[in-house]
Amino acid sequence: MKGNKRVLALALSAVLTLTGLAGCGQSDKSAGSTAGASGGGAKSRAQDTIIYAQGADPRGLDPALVDDGESGKVIVNIYEGLLKYSKDSTQIEPSLAEKWDISDDGLTYTFYLRKGVKFQDGTDFNAEAVKINIDRQLPPKVTEDMVYAGFVFGSVKDVEVVDDLTVKINLTAPSTPFLNNLAMCMGAPMISPKALEENGNNVNEHPVGTGPYTFVSWTKGQNIVLKRNDNYWGEKAVTTNVIFKFIPDNSARVVALNNGEADIIDGIDATVVQQIEGSGNKIYKAQGMNINYLAYNTTKAPFNDVKVRTAISQAINVPELVQSLYQGYAEPATSVLPTFIPGYDASIAQVAFDQAAAKAALAGAGVSKLHIITYTNPRPYNTANGQALAEAIQGYLKNVGVTATIDAFDWTTYKEKVKAGDYDICFYGWIGDNGDPDNFMNLMADKDPRMNVARYDNAAYKELIAKGLTIPNGDERNKVYTDLEKMAAKEAVWLPISHATTLVGYRSNVKDFNYHTTGVIFLSEASKD
Amino acid sequence: MLKYIVKRILMLIPVLLGVSVIVFLIMRVFSPDPAPIVLGQHATAETVEKWREANGLNSPIYIQYFDFIKGAVTGDFGTSYYTKTPVMKEIMSRFPATIELAIAAIILASIIGILIGAISAVKKNSIFDNSGMILALIGVSMPIFWLGILLIILFSGILHILPSGSRIDPLLQPYGGTGFYMIDTLVSGDMEAFVDAVKHLVLPALALGMYSMAIITRMTRSSMLDTLNQDYIRTARAKGIKDGRVITHHALRNAMIPVTTVIGLQLGSLLGGAVLTETVFSWPGIGHYTVECILKSDFPVVQGIVLLIACIFVLINLVVDIFYAFLDPRIKFSKKEA
Repeated sequence: MKGNKRVLALALSAVLTLTGLAGCGQSDKSAGSTAGASGGGAKSRAQDTIIYAQGADPRGLDPALVDDGESGKVIVNIYEGLLKYSKDSTQIEPSLAEKWDISDDGLTYTFYLRKGVKFQDGTDFNAEAVKINIDRQLPPKVTEDMVYAGFVFGSVKDVEVVDDLTVKINLTAPSTPFLNNLAMCMGAPMISPKALEENGNNVNEHPVGTGPYTFVSWTKGQNIVLKRNDNYWGEKAVTTNVIFKFIPDNSARVVALNNGEADIIDGIDATVVQQIEGSGNKIYKAQGMNINYLAYNTTKAPFNDVKVRTAISQAINVPELVQSLYQGYAEPATSVLPTFIPGYDASIAQVAFDQAAAKAALAGAGVSKLHIITYTNPRPYNTANGQALAEAIQGYLKNVGVTATIDAFDWTTYKEKVKAGDYDICFYGWIGDNGDPDNFMNLMADKDPRMNVARYDNAAYKELIAKGLTIPNGDERNKVYTDLEKMAAKEAVWLPISHATTLVGYRSNVKDFNYHTTGVIFLSEASKD
Repeated sequence: MLKYIVKRILMLIPVLLGVSVIVFLIMRVFSPDPAPIVLGQHATAETVEKWREANGLNSPIYIQYFDFIKGAVTGDFGTSYYTKTPVMKEIMSRFPATIELAIAAIILASIIGILIGAISAVKKNSIFDNSGMILALIGVSMPIFWLGILLIILFSGILHILPSGSRIDPLLQPYGGTGFYMIDTLVSGDMEAFVDAVKHLVLPALALGMYSMAIITRMTRSSMLDTLNQDYIRTARAKGIKDGRVITHHALRNAMIPVTTVIGLQLGSLLGGAVLTETVFSWPGIGHYTVECILKSDFPVVQGIVLLIACIFVLINLVVDIFYAFLDPRIKFSKKEA
């Protein structure tokens, strides 16, 4: 018995040692052969592959079931919608629909579909497919976790198939932003009805669209591999393979770019620009469809008084603040709308910096203390994070004799605090959904306090918002939003702070990728030298 | 012996029940409501309510717990709130990565740790001993994430000899198989992929194993010193047995008993320590994933992972205890022999 155990113990230690030795040997060998592995046969394939590194896995690849930017970037390369945005703005252009008519009452949209388009599984794209895609996001079929169904198709009454290539969408009320919604990467992209049926109405892991790239595989936590769709109806993709790689740590993503393990990376901030450019790589600055702002709690004294709000806004030097916090990688905001969105007008101005006037007004109103709540995480519209922003503002307020106390929370808890409403000032931001001005300006009219964090309630403002929804796109409609901007600035509901620039790092041999203002990347024209 | 093992395995049940209650309560008390996270910024109060109802979050907490246990017993941990994918599928697609990393780390840590520890004890107070102990001190004090970043900067950023993260070059990635890339690439006979996988494994394993290595070094050294002072070592030497044989056969083997426990416990904690390593090295395991799910209040996934880890931790301890008996014949587990 004793002897047996000894033998077993010896055998076990031998196995352990051997495994260990084998392990050591392998490590040595691998270090030695690195140069060999990276050169040679794999090269041509590497040349024909673009690797895009982002911070996290997509939530899923079913456009109706997701709401995150990481999903959007992959989705726009696999799927297409009836309409699309133009290359450098949020103007809409034909995509799967070649043209469309809108009835005079603004209630019926007729789309004429492109002929000969096939889904990547070989089935036909037609009016029936459009109906199936929209119907699944309308009552009674819609489920609660179809995150964008209400936003994109909330105004739709029903969908009629007129003939194979003509489809009619009836709305319950006129809604001009509906056209922009159809170009979005959430909700609107067309999924193969066959794939939906085969996968239990959830194609999160089995995406099939009509786009320039076909889905190959998704290894969770690692990468998604796409391959060129050789049956694509339009201009075929230039590069054969596209790989979306997930690298959660920001500095590791930069090393991966500089080391050649990724061709394009996103989710970077101003602090690493030098490091990237110093390694011979390049930075692309995309205008961001976002706004980073300070909101007053307009329901709570003394901030229900426009004079007090104006005085606080006067105390803050926005351009100086933006320069010091974002180092030139965000534009000081003079308006709520980013400059490329219809309705933006250069004549809009916010409350100007005037320390002396602020001091006098605040002393007169007897305001010497206020309560700020903010978030601790960096956000896409505020890469410096909410706490840094709040502390900077605290400094400005101190100069005018106001003591601000700051409570900072992680983002998820913060949203609960905002909902609860116990604050004088809070910080928030917005990333545009559809490039329509209503999407931004409605934030001050929404009845949900999680959206309308200033809790602003003004009948005239709401009336204008309602008007904007019914007027067709054009100058008349744009003027409505300019008026809304002016009203909000005069009332000092928010203090708009900045529009963040999106930074993308890429290797110098990569060309022709299109990082769109909506925060997604189109890779079908991209290639490597 | 068999009786002992069965008893220990049965003891797993109350442990897992305890763990499940704790994780269940912690998630529900301290985590924010998952509904707004899952349903996004456009969700109305009505949708939120409907979704909570559909996911059983409006039922009394003991009913929710009971439902969870009912599923867990049959191996069904539910579906991830966030991705709508079954929890087991989410876990299993990431678990092999964590295991592979933890095993590589513990092998590396044990070999280096025992070697340095044993030599340090034999050559007590020499330069080797002192430098070994300084290395161990650095190992226990240096935060994993910092060490990880330093390793990446040195080996990938400056020397360009090892990749900065992830498990394998995506173009060489094996599909299907066990999910353990060491095994999958070998089985498929793709040596290029195997070498690439090993290259990707070296830095994270080193970073993750550093702390364990330091602990093992210290433990081996002190245990060895203890053993070397024993009477039977003196006797062995007096009998004229060669020094090398005394050290390996008489001293090291006896000194290994406490070290074995430490290695076992370290393996368990490596699964937890993997959180930071996985984030720094983009290692697609469950460590980093767990943190993501906690932040998203994805209750079913977090519950599943915590239970799984607890289960593995307990089983590793059991294996260590059994291993004991082989190393030290004086330890017996059955009553009769005691």
